[in-house]
Amino acid sequence: MEKKSIHDILPLELIRRILLRVPASHLFRLKCVSKCWYSLISDPHFAELHFHHSPASTNALFCIKNGNVAYFVYLDALVFNDGNDASHVKEVCTPFKTKPPSHFEVLGSCRGFVLLHRHPQCLVVWNPLTGSTRRISYSGIDSRMYNGFRLPKSARLYGFGYDASRDDYLVVVAWCERRRQDHLDCLSLRTNSWIHLDAALPKPLRVSKDTSTGLFLNGAIHWVPWPIKDHRDAILIFDMKSRTFSTMSEPEPAFSYESYPGIVLLGGCLALYYDCLDSCSTDIWVMKEYKVQSSWTLYQIPCLFFLPLYLSNNGDIIGEIILSDKIEKKKFLMSWEESCSHVLNIFVLRLTSVQPMLCIERVSCHSLVTLRMRIIRT
Amino acid sequence: MGSPVKKIMLCSSEKEIFSVEEQVMVQHSVIINNMIEDGSYNHEESKIPLDCVDSKTLKKVIDYCTHHTHHHNDNQEDLEAWDAQFLNVDSNGLYDLLMAANYLEIRNLLDLIYGTIKNMIKGKKIDEIRRIFNIKDHGFTPEEEEQNRKEYPHFY
Repeated sequence: MEKKSIHDILPLELIRRILLRVPASHLFRLKCVSKCWYSLISDPHFAELHFHHSPASTNALFCIKNGNVAYFVYLDALVFNDGNDASHVKEVCTPFKTKPPSHFEVLGSCRGFVLLHRHPQCLVVWNPLTGSTRRISYSGIDSRMYNGFRLPKSARLYGFGYDASRDDYLVVVAWCERRRQDHLDCLSLRTNSWIHLDAALPKPLRVSKDTSTGLFLNGAIHWVPWPIKDHRDAILIFDMKSRTFSTMSEPEPAFSYESYPGIVLLGGCLALYYDCLDSCSTDIWVMKEYKVQSSWTLYQIPCLFFLPLYLSNNGDIIGEIILSDKIEKKKFLMSWEESCSHVLNIFVLRLTSVQPMLCIERVSCHSLVTLRMRIIRT
Repeated sequence: MGSPVKKIMLCSSEKEIFSVEEQVMVQHSVIINNMIEDGSYNHEESKIPLDCVDSKTLKKVIDYCTHHTHHHNDNQEDLEAWDAQFLNVDSNGLYDLLMAANYLEIRNLLDLIYGTIKNMIKGKKIDEIRRIFNIKDHGFTPEEEEQNRKEYPHFY
Protein backbone atom coordinates (compact mmCIF):
# COMPACT_ATOMS: atom_id res chain seq x y z
CA MET A 1 0.00 0.00 0.00
CA GLU A 2 1.20 3.47 -0.76
CA LYS A 3 2.60 5.34 2.18
CA LYS A 4 0.54 8.44 2.76
CA SER A 5 1.61 11.82 3.99
CA ILE A 6 0.71 12.71 7.54
CA HIS A 7 -0.82 15.90 6.17
CA ASP A 8 -3.23 13.99 3.94
CA ILE A 9 -4.56 11.79 6.72
CA LEU A 10 -4.51 13.61 10.02
CA PRO A 11 -6.58 16.72 10.56
CA LEU A 12 -4.62 19.77 11.69
CA GLU A 13 -6.03 19.52 15.19
CA LEU A 14 -4.46 16.08 15.71
CA ILE A 15 -1.11 17.22 14.33
CA ARG A 16 -1.32 20.15 16.70
CA ARG A 17 -1.96 17.84 19.65
CA ILE A 18 1.10 15.77 18.71
CA LEU A 19 3.26 18.89 18.52
CA LEU A 20 1.96 20.06 21.88
CA ARG A 21 3.70 17.07 23.42
CA VAL A 22 7.10 17.75 21.88
CA PRO A 23 9.48 19.52 24.30
CA ALA A 24 9.92 23.21 23.57
CA SER A 25 13.62 22.76 22.86
CA HIS A 26 12.75 20.65 19.79
CA LEU A 27 9.88 22.74 18.53
CA PHE A 28 11.90 25.59 17.13
CA ARG A 29 13.54 23.23 14.68
CA LEU A 30 10.22 21.64 13.74
CA LYS A 31 9.06 24.93 12.29
CA CYS A 32 11.20 24.08 9.27
CA VAL A 33 9.45 20.77 8.55
CA SER A 34 6.57 22.29 6.65
CA LYS A 35 4.60 25.45 6.26
CA CYS A 36 1.72 23.78 8.07
CA TRP A 37 3.86 22.89 11.10
CA TYR A 38 5.37 26.35 10.95
CA SER A 39 1.98 28.04 11.31
CA LEU A 40 0.80 25.62 13.99
CA ILE A 41 3.88 26.22 16.13
CA SER A 42 4.05 29.98 15.50
CA ASP A 43 0.50 30.55 16.70
CA PRO A 44 0.66 32.49 20.01
CA HIS A 45 -2.21 30.39 21.30
CA PHE A 46 -0.10 27.28 20.69
CA ALA A 47 2.75 28.72 22.75
CA GLU A 48 0.39 29.41 25.62
CA LEU A 49 -1.14 25.92 25.44
CA HIS A 50 2.27 24.32 25.17
CA PHE A 51 3.45 26.12 28.25
CA HIS A 52 0.60 24.67 30.29
CA HIS A 53 0.93 21.30 28.66
CA SER A 54 4.55 20.59 29.48
CA PRO A 55 5.45 20.83 33.14
CA ALA A 56 7.93 18.01 32.67
CA SER A 57 10.48 20.11 30.82
CA THR A 58 11.47 22.23 33.79
CA ASN A 59 14.62 20.43 34.68
CA ALA A 60 17.23 22.59 33.07
CA LEU A 61 19.68 24.55 35.14
CA PHE A 62 21.01 27.78 33.88
CA CYS A 63 24.67 28.15 34.68
CA ILE A 64 26.95 31.07 34.23
CA LYS A 65 30.66 30.58 33.87
CA ASN A 66 32.95 33.46 34.75
CA GLY A 67 29.99 35.80 34.74
CA ASN A 68 29.78 35.95 30.99
CA VAL A 69 29.12 32.55 29.39
CA ALA A 70 25.81 30.78 29.87
CA TYR A 71 24.94 27.10 29.78
CA PHE A 72 21.88 25.01 30.11
CA VAL A 73 22.45 21.81 31.99
CA TYR A 74 19.76 19.24 31.37
CA LEU A 75 19.62 17.62 34.75
CA ASP A 76 17.58 14.56 33.98
CA ALA A 77 20.09 13.57 31.33
CA LEU A 78 22.93 14.39 33.69
CA VAL A 79 21.60 12.30 36.54
CA PHE A 80 20.59 9.49 34.25
CA ASN A 81 24.00 9.25 32.61
CA ASP A 82 25.97 9.74 35.83
CA GLY A 83 27.44 12.86 34.32
CA ASN A 84 29.69 10.95 31.96
CA ASP A 85 28.79 12.51 28.68
CA ALA A 86 28.53 16.11 27.69
CA SER A 87 25.26 15.95 25.79
CA HIS A 88 23.40 17.40 28.74
CA VAL A 89 25.37 20.62 28.66
CA LYS A 90 24.51 23.15 26.02
CA GLU A 91 26.13 26.52 25.68
CA VAL A 92 23.67 29.28 24.88
CA CYS A 93 24.52 32.54 23.20
CA THR A 94 23.91 35.35 25.63
CA PRO A 95 22.18 38.47 24.38
CA PHE A 96 25.41 40.41 24.83
CA LYS A 97 27.40 40.53 21.66
CA THR A 98 30.48 42.41 22.84
CA LYS A 99 33.86 40.69 22.99
CA PRO A 100 34.81 39.74 25.59
CA PRO A 101 31.20 39.13 26.60
CA SER A 102 29.77 41.51 29.14
CA HIS A 103 29.50 40.54 32.73
CA PHE A 104 25.93 39.85 33.74
CA GLU A 105 23.86 38.56 36.61
CA VAL A 106 20.61 36.61 36.73
CA LEU A 107 17.91 38.34 38.74
CA GLY A 108 15.08 35.91 38.25
CA SER A 109 13.02 33.90 35.84
CA CYS A 110 9.41 33.38 34.98
CA ARG A 111 7.61 31.34 32.33
CA GLY A 112 10.75 30.70 30.32
CA PHE A 113 12.08 34.22 30.46
CA VAL A 114 15.27 35.01 32.31
CA LEU A 115 15.77 38.45 33.79
CA LEU A 116 19.38 39.51 33.43
CA HIS A 117 21.17 42.52 34.73
CA ARG A 118 24.11 44.11 33.06
CA HIS A 119 26.23 46.79 34.56
CA PRO A 120 25.62 49.67 34.86
CA GLN A 121 21.82 49.95 34.63
CA CYS A 122 20.43 47.69 32.04
CA LEU A 123 17.84 44.99 32.53
CA VAL A 124 17.45 42.39 29.84
CA VAL A 125 14.50 40.04 29.58
CA TRP A 126 15.64 37.08 27.59
CA ASN A 127 14.11 33.87 26.32
CA PRO A 128 17.18 31.63 25.97
CA LEU A 129 15.28 29.20 23.81
CA THR A 130 14.13 31.55 21.11
CA GLY A 131 16.84 34.16 21.68
CA SER A 132 14.31 36.97 21.90
CA THR A 133 15.41 39.82 24.13
CA ARG A 134 14.11 43.05 25.46
CA ARG A 135 16.35 45.70 27.02
CA ILE A 136 15.14 48.15 29.62
CA SER A 137 16.95 50.92 31.38
CA TYR A 138 15.92 51.64 34.93
CA SER A 139 17.20 55.16 35.20
CA GLY A 140 13.72 56.18 36.42
CA ILE A 141 14.51 54.98 39.89
CA ASP A 142 17.99 56.33 39.71
CA SER A 143 16.95 59.93 39.20
CA ARG A 144 15.27 60.00 42.60
CA MET A 145 18.24 58.53 44.37
CA TYR A 146 21.10 60.41 45.87
CA ASN A 147 23.60 57.74 45.00
CA GLY A 148 23.49 55.63 41.91
CA PHE A 149 20.91 52.91 42.19
CA ARG A 150 22.20 49.51 41.16
CA LEU A 151 20.41 46.24 40.98
CA PRO A 152 20.62 43.93 42.72
CA LYS A 153 22.62 45.44 45.57
CA SER A 154 20.54 48.57 46.12
CA ALA A 155 17.32 46.60 46.39
CA ARG A 156 15.87 45.13 49.54
CA LEU A 157 13.73 42.80 47.54
CA TYR A 158 13.34 42.21 43.86
CA GLY A 159 11.44 39.77 41.76
CA PHE A 160 10.18 39.02 38.29
CA GLY A 161 6.69 37.74 37.63
CA TYR A 162 3.72 37.55 35.32
CA ASP A 163 0.37 39.23 35.81
CA ALA A 164 -2.12 37.12 33.88
CA SER A 165 -4.98 39.56 34.46
CA ARG A 166 -3.17 42.26 32.51
CA ASP A 167 -1.00 39.95 30.39
CA ASP A 168 2.03 41.83 31.65
CA TYR A 169 5.43 40.95 33.06
CA LEU A 170 6.58 42.98 36.05
CA VAL A 171 9.94 43.56 37.64
CA VAL A 172 9.20 44.40 41.27
CA VAL A 173 11.81 46.30 43.27
CA ALA A 174 11.65 47.36 46.92
CA TRP A 175 14.37 49.76 47.94
CA CYS A 176 15.21 52.21 50.66
CA GLU A 177 16.12 55.81 50.06
CA ARG A 178 19.15 56.74 52.10
CA ARG A 179 17.97 54.62 55.00
CA ARG A 180 14.84 56.67 55.43
CA GLN A 181 11.90 55.93 53.26
CA ASP A 182 10.98 52.62 51.73
CA HIS A 183 9.83 52.54 48.16
CA LEU A 184 8.17 49.95 46.07
CA ASP A 185 8.28 50.25 42.32
CA CYS A 186 7.46 47.93 39.53
CA LEU A 187 8.46 48.02 35.94
CA SER A 188 5.71 47.00 33.55
CA LEU A 189 7.16 45.42 30.44
CA ARG A 190 3.93 45.93 28.57
CA THR A 191 3.87 49.68 28.98
CA ASN A 192 7.62 49.99 29.39
CA SER A 193 7.16 52.26 32.38
CA TRP A 194 7.83 52.34 36.08
CA ILE A 195 4.82 52.30 38.36
CA HIS A 196 5.13 53.50 41.92
CA LEU A 197 3.16 51.31 44.31
CA ASP A 198 1.74 52.28 47.67
CA ALA A 199 1.67 48.77 49.11
CA ALA A 200 3.05 48.81 52.63
CA LEU A 201 6.31 46.96 53.07
CA PRO A 202 6.77 44.90 56.20
CA LYS A 203 9.24 46.42 58.67
CA PRO A 204 11.98 46.07 59.52
CA LEU A 205 12.86 44.42 56.28
CA ARG A 206 16.16 42.71 55.96
CA VAL A 207 16.82 39.91 53.58
CA SER A 208 20.08 38.15 53.11
CA LYS A 209 21.64 38.53 49.71
CA ASP A 210 20.72 34.99 48.77
CA THR A 211 17.05 35.37 49.49
CA SER A 212 16.36 38.83 48.11
CA THR A 213 15.46 37.27 44.76
CA GLY A 214 11.78 36.49 44.65
CA LEU A 215 10.32 33.24 43.47
CA PHE A 216 7.39 33.42 41.08
CA LEU A 217 4.59 30.92 41.59
CA ASN A 218 0.81 30.98 41.27
CA GLY A 219 0.58 34.60 40.16
CA ALA A 220 2.67 35.92 43.02
CA ILE A 221 6.29 36.55 43.96
CA HIS A 222 7.52 34.96 47.20
CA TRP A 223 10.38 35.87 49.50
CA VAL A 224 11.62 34.74 52.89
CA PRO A 225 12.42 37.88 54.84
CA TRP A 226 14.90 37.79 57.67
CA PRO A 227 14.88 38.00 60.62
CA ILE A 228 11.50 36.40 61.09
CA LYS A 229 9.66 38.20 63.86
CA ASP A 230 6.69 35.93 63.89
CA HIS A 231 6.44 32.52 62.31
CA ARG A 232 3.09 33.50 60.85
CA ASP A 233 4.86 36.04 58.65
CA ALA A 234 7.65 33.78 57.47
CA ILE A 235 6.85 34.04 53.80
CA LEU A 236 6.26 37.36 52.13
CA ILE A 237 3.99 37.32 49.09
CA PHE A 238 3.45 39.97 46.46
CA ASP A 239 0.30 39.32 44.45
CA MET A 240 0.76 40.38 40.83
CA LYS A 241 -2.90 41.07 40.23
CA SER A 242 -3.82 43.07 43.32
CA ARG A 243 -0.23 44.41 43.60
CA THR A 244 -0.28 44.09 47.37
CA PHE A 245 1.75 42.24 49.96
CA SER A 246 0.53 39.50 52.22
CA THR A 247 2.28 36.94 54.37
CA MET A 248 2.05 33.24 54.87
CA SER A 249 2.95 31.10 57.85
CA GLU A 250 5.93 28.79 57.92
CA PRO A 251 5.20 25.07 58.41
CA GLU A 252 5.69 25.26 62.17
CA PRO A 253 7.61 27.64 64.41
CA ALA A 254 10.64 25.52 63.76
CA PHE A 255 13.36 27.72 62.36
CA SER A 256 16.15 28.53 64.63
CA TYR A 257 16.59 32.17 63.92
CA GLU A 258 20.27 31.77 63.17
CA SER A 259 19.44 29.80 60.07
CA TYR A 260 18.79 31.58 56.83
CA PRO A 261 15.92 29.80 55.19
CA GLY A 262 15.93 29.70 51.41
CA ILE A 263 13.04 29.30 49.06
CA VAL A 264 12.82 27.08 46.00
CA LEU A 265 10.33 25.43 43.67
CA LEU A 266 10.30 21.64 43.89
CA GLY A 267 7.98 19.79 41.56
CA GLY A 268 5.94 22.94 41.11
CA CYS A 269 5.52 23.34 44.88
CA LEU A 270 6.88 26.05 47.11
CA ALA A 271 9.59 24.75 49.43
CA LEU A 272 11.60 26.24 52.29
CA TYR A 273 14.99 24.85 53.21
CA TYR A 274 17.42 25.66 55.96
CA ASP A 275 20.38 24.16 57.76
CA CYS A 276 19.64 22.44 61.00
CA LEU A 277 22.82 22.61 63.03
CA ASP A 278 21.53 20.41 65.87
CA SER A 279 20.77 17.45 63.69
CA CYS A 280 23.46 18.22 61.09
CA SER A 281 20.86 18.12 58.38
CA THR A 282 19.20 20.27 55.79
CA ASP A 283 15.50 20.39 56.38
CA ILE A 284 13.29 20.91 53.34
CA TRP A 285 9.66 21.74 53.93
CA VAL A 286 7.51 21.38 50.85
CA MET A 287 4.05 22.93 50.64
CA LYS A 288 2.41 20.28 48.48
CA GLU A 289 -0.79 22.24 48.05
CA TYR A 290 -0.46 25.95 47.65
CA LYS A 291 -1.59 27.87 50.74
CA VAL A 292 -2.79 24.69 52.45
CA GLN A 293 -1.01 24.78 55.79
CA SER A 294 -1.57 21.10 56.53
CA SER A 295 0.17 20.08 53.31
CA TRP A 296 3.67 21.09 54.47
CA THR A 297 5.82 17.97 54.23
CA LEU A 298 9.31 17.59 55.68
CA TYR A 299 12.25 16.04 53.88
CA GLN A 300 15.49 15.78 55.80
CA ILE A 301 18.75 15.63 53.93
CA PRO A 302 21.43 14.20 56.22
CA CYS A 303 24.05 16.87 55.66
CA LEU A 304 24.45 20.61 56.06
CA PHE A 305 24.57 23.22 53.30
CA PHE A 306 22.48 21.31 50.82
CA LEU A 307 20.99 23.55 48.19
CA PRO A 308 17.96 21.86 46.62
CA LEU A 309 17.71 22.52 42.90
CA TYR A 310 14.80 20.59 41.55
CA LEU A 311 12.65 17.51 41.73
CA SER A 312 13.63 15.07 39.00
CA ASN A 313 11.10 13.29 36.83
CA ASN A 314 11.78 10.20 38.92
CA GLY A 315 10.78 12.01 42.07
CA ASP A 316 14.26 12.59 43.49
CA ILE A 317 15.31 15.84 45.09
CA ILE A 318 18.45 16.91 43.30
CA GLY A 319 20.66 19.49 44.89
CA GLU A 320 24.17 20.69 45.23
CA ILE A 321 26.57 20.99 48.09
CA ILE A 322 29.34 23.50 47.97
CA LEU A 323 32.47 22.08 49.52
CA SER A 324 35.51 24.31 49.50
CA ASP A 325 35.89 25.60 45.95
CA LYS A 326 34.52 22.53 44.25
CA ILE A 327 30.94 22.18 43.29
CA GLU A 328 29.66 18.70 43.63
CA LYS A 329 26.29 17.46 42.64
CA LYS A 330 24.68 15.14 45.06
CA LYS A 331 21.68 13.20 44.12
CA PHE A 332 19.43 12.35 46.96
CA LEU A 333 16.88 9.75 46.28
CA MET A 334 13.91 10.69 48.33
CA SER A 335 10.51 9.30 47.97
CA TRP A 336 8.26 12.18 47.03
CA GLU A 337 5.08 10.33 47.84
CA GLU A 338 5.94 9.25 51.35
CA SER A 339 6.50 11.69 54.13
CA CYS A 340 9.57 12.74 56.04
CA SER A 341 13.12 11.53 56.33
CA HIS A 342 13.04 8.77 53.85
CA VAL A 343 16.52 8.95 52.46
CA LEU A 344 17.09 5.94 50.32
CA ASN A 345 20.46 6.52 48.87
CA ILE A 346 23.04 9.19 48.27
CA PHE A 347 25.56 9.49 45.54
CA VAL A 348 27.69 12.16 44.05
CA LEU A 349 27.83 13.53 40.57
CA ARG A 350 30.47 15.88 39.37
CA LEU A 351 29.73 18.56 36.88
CA THR A 352 33.25 18.51 35.52
CA SER A 353 32.31 19.68 32.07
CA VAL A 354 31.06 23.07 33.17
CA GLN A 355 33.41 23.85 36.00
CA PRO A 356 34.22 26.30 37.32
CA MET A 357 30.78 27.73 37.76
CA LEU A 358 30.40 30.89 39.67
CA CYS A 359 26.71 30.97 39.71
CA ILE A 360 23.93 28.48 39.31
CA GLU A 361 20.45 29.69 38.80
CA ARG A 362 17.26 27.78 38.82
CA VAL A 363 15.22 29.08 35.96
CA SER A 364 11.68 28.26 35.23
CA CYS A 365 10.83 25.97 32.40
CA HIS A 366 11.46 26.47 28.73
CA SER A 367 8.70 28.11 26.86
CA LEU A 368 7.97 29.57 23.49
CA VAL A 369 5.91 32.41 24.88
CA THR A 370 6.95 35.73 23.45
CA LEU A 371 6.74 39.02 25.22
CA ARG A 372 3.89 41.18 24.19
CA MET A 373 4.65 44.80 24.57
CA ARG A 374 3.63 48.26 23.74
CA ILE A 375 6.14 50.99 23.17
CA ILE A 376 5.16 54.31 24.66
CA ARG A 377 6.98 57.35 23.48
CA THR A 378 7.70 59.80 26.24
CA MET B 1 -24.25 -18.68 37.82
CA GLY B 2 -23.53 -15.06 37.07
CA SER B 3 -25.49 -13.15 34.50
CA PRO B 4 -24.22 -13.57 30.93
CA VAL B 5 -21.63 -11.05 29.82
CA LYS B 6 -23.40 -8.11 28.17
CA LYS B 7 -22.28 -7.48 24.62
CA ILE B 8 -22.56 -4.54 22.28
CA MET B 9 -22.28 -4.43 18.50
CA LEU B 10 -19.87 -2.19 16.66
CA CYS B 11 -20.12 -1.76 12.91
CA SER B 12 -17.05 -0.85 10.85
CA SER B 13 -16.96 1.28 7.71
CA GLU B 14 -17.12 -1.96 5.67
CA LYS B 15 -20.37 -2.83 7.58
CA GLU B 16 -18.65 -5.70 9.35
CA ILE B 17 -20.16 -6.32 12.79
CA PHE B 18 -17.97 -6.82 15.86
CA SER B 19 -19.47 -8.10 19.10
CA VAL B 20 -17.60 -6.81 22.16
CA GLU B 21 -18.09 -7.01 25.92
CA GLU B 22 -19.93 -3.87 26.87
CA GLN B 23 -17.77 -3.35 29.94
CA VAL B 24 -14.60 -3.33 27.84
CA MET B 25 -15.77 -0.49 25.62
CA VAL B 26 -17.52 1.45 28.37
CA GLN B 27 -14.35 1.49 30.42
CA HIS B 28 -12.19 2.83 27.62
CA SER B 29 -14.31 4.86 25.25
CA VAL B 30 -15.85 8.06 26.54
CA ILE B 31 -18.24 8.15 23.56
CA ILE B 32 -19.55 4.61 24.02
CA ASN B 33 -19.82 5.14 27.77
CA ASN B 34 -22.00 8.19 27.09
CA MET B 35 -24.17 6.29 24.63
CA ILE B 36 -24.83 3.50 27.12
CA GLU B 37 -25.42 5.90 29.99
CA ASP B 38 -27.88 8.13 28.19
CA GLY B 39 -29.77 5.11 26.89
CA SER B 40 -29.24 5.83 23.20
CA TYR B 41 -27.97 2.27 22.75
CA ASN B 42 -30.62 -0.43 22.70
CA HIS B 43 -29.14 -3.86 23.45
CA GLU B 44 -31.77 -5.73 21.44
CA GLU B 45 -31.56 -3.78 18.20
CA SER B 46 -28.77 -1.22 18.07
CA LYS B 47 -25.35 -1.43 16.62
CA ILE B 48 -22.95 1.44 16.83
CA PRO B 49 -21.95 2.58 13.34
CA LEU B 50 -18.33 3.66 13.10
CA ASP B 51 -18.28 4.93 9.55
CA CYS B 52 -14.79 6.32 9.71
CA VAL B 53 -13.14 3.23 11.24
CA ASP B 54 -12.25 0.33 8.96
CA SER B 55 -12.42 -3.30 10.09
CA LYS B 56 -8.67 -3.74 10.46
CA THR B 57 -8.37 -0.69 12.69
CA LEU B 58 -11.52 -1.48 14.68
CA LYS B 59 -10.18 -4.95 15.41
CA LYS B 60 -6.97 -3.42 16.73
CA VAL B 61 -8.89 -0.95 18.88
CA ILE B 62 -11.01 -3.74 20.36
CA ASP B 63 -7.84 -5.77 21.01
CA TYR B 64 -6.36 -2.84 22.87
CA CYS B 65 -9.41 -2.23 25.04
CA THR B 66 -9.89 -5.93 25.78
CA HIS B 67 -6.28 -6.44 26.76
CA HIS B 68 -6.21 -3.37 28.98
CA THR B 69 -9.45 -4.38 30.68
CA HIS B 70 -8.39 -7.94 31.47
CA HIS B 71 -4.74 -7.25 32.17
CA HIS B 72 -4.89 -3.96 34.01
CA ASN B 73 -3.37 -5.64 37.07
CA ASP B 74 -0.32 -6.86 35.14
CA ASN B 75 2.94 -5.22 36.03
CA GLN B 76 3.82 -2.03 34.21
CA GLU B 77 6.67 -3.59 32.28
CA ASP B 78 4.50 -6.31 30.75
CA LEU B 79 1.85 -3.79 29.79
CA GLU B 80 4.41 -1.51 28.19
CA ALA B 81 5.89 -4.40 26.26
CA TRP B 82 2.43 -5.36 25.06
CA ASP B 83 1.71 -1.74 24.03
CA ALA B 84 4.99 -1.51 22.12
CA GLN B 85 4.17 -4.72 20.26
CA PHE B 86 0.62 -3.46 19.66
CA LEU B 87 1.86 -0.23 18.05
CA ASN B 88 4.36 -2.01 15.87
CA VAL B 89 2.45 -0.99 12.73
CA ASP B 90 3.29 1.09 9.67
CA SER B 91 2.65 4.80 9.71
CA ASN B 92 -0.68 4.52 7.87
CA GLY B 93 -1.85 2.04 10.47
CA LEU B 94 -0.73 4.38 13.21
CA TYR B 95 -2.66 7.33 11.73
CA ASP B 96 -5.76 5.17 11.35
CA LEU B 97 -5.50 4.09 14.98
CA LEU B 98 -5.06 7.67 16.07
CA MET B 99 -8.15 8.77 14.16
CA ALA B 100 -10.18 5.89 15.62
CA ALA B 101 -8.98 6.51 19.18
CA ASN B 102 -9.77 10.18 18.74
CA TYR B 103 -13.24 9.42 17.36
CA LEU B 104 -14.07 7.02 20.18
CA GLU B 105 -12.23 9.13 22.76
CA ILE B 106 -10.07 6.36 24.16
CA ARG B 107 -7.78 8.47 26.27
CA ASN B 108 -5.07 6.02 27.26
CA LEU B 109 -4.74 4.81 23.67
CA LEU B 110 -4.55 8.43 22.49
CA ASP B 111 -1.77 9.15 24.99
CA LEU B 112 0.07 6.07 23.85
CA ILE B 113 -0.12 7.02 20.17
CA TYR B 114 0.71 10.69 20.72
CA GLY B 115 3.71 9.60 22.77
CA THR B 116 4.85 7.20 20.05
CA ILE B 117 4.59 9.81 17.31
CA LYS B 118 6.31 12.36 19.54
CA ASN B 119 9.22 9.95 19.95
CA MET B 120 9.39 9.53 16.16
CA ILE B 121 9.94 13.30 15.94
CA LYS B 122 12.22 13.99 18.88
CA GLY B 123 15.87 14.52 18.09
CA LYS B 124 15.45 13.88 14.38
CA LYS B 125 16.72 16.02 11.53
CA ILE B 126 14.20 17.77 9.30
CA ASP B 127 14.90 15.59 6.27
CA GLU B 128 14.42 12.50 8.40
CA ILE B 129 11.12 13.77 9.80
CA ARG B 130 9.88 14.54 6.30
CA ARG B 131 10.76 11.01 5.23
CA ILE B 132 9.12 9.39 8.28
CA PHE B 133 5.88 11.28 7.77
CA ASN B 134 6.17 11.24 4.00
CA ILE B 135 5.91 15.01 3.72
CA LYS B 136 6.75 15.66 0.07
CA ASP B 137 5.04 18.97 -0.26
CA HIS B 138 6.35 21.05 2.62
CA GLY B 139 4.63 24.20 1.37
CA PHE B 140 7.64 26.49 1.60
CA THR B 141 8.65 28.43 -1.49
CA PRO B 142 12.04 27.39 -2.91
CA GLU B 143 13.41 30.70 -1.60
CA GLU B 144 12.10 30.11 1.93
CA GLU B 145 13.42 26.56 1.93
CA GLU B 146 16.84 27.70 0.77
CA GLN B 147 16.87 30.46 3.36
CA ASN B 148 16.04 27.98 6.15
CA ARG B 149 18.68 25.53 5.02
CA LYS B 150 21.24 28.30 4.89
CA GLU B 151 20.31 29.70 8.28
CA TYR B 152 19.99 26.39 10.14
CA PRO B 153 22.14 23.87 8.26
CA HIS B 154 22.43 21.68 11.38
CA PHE B 155 18.65 21.15 11.43
CA TYR B 156 18.70 19.25 8.14
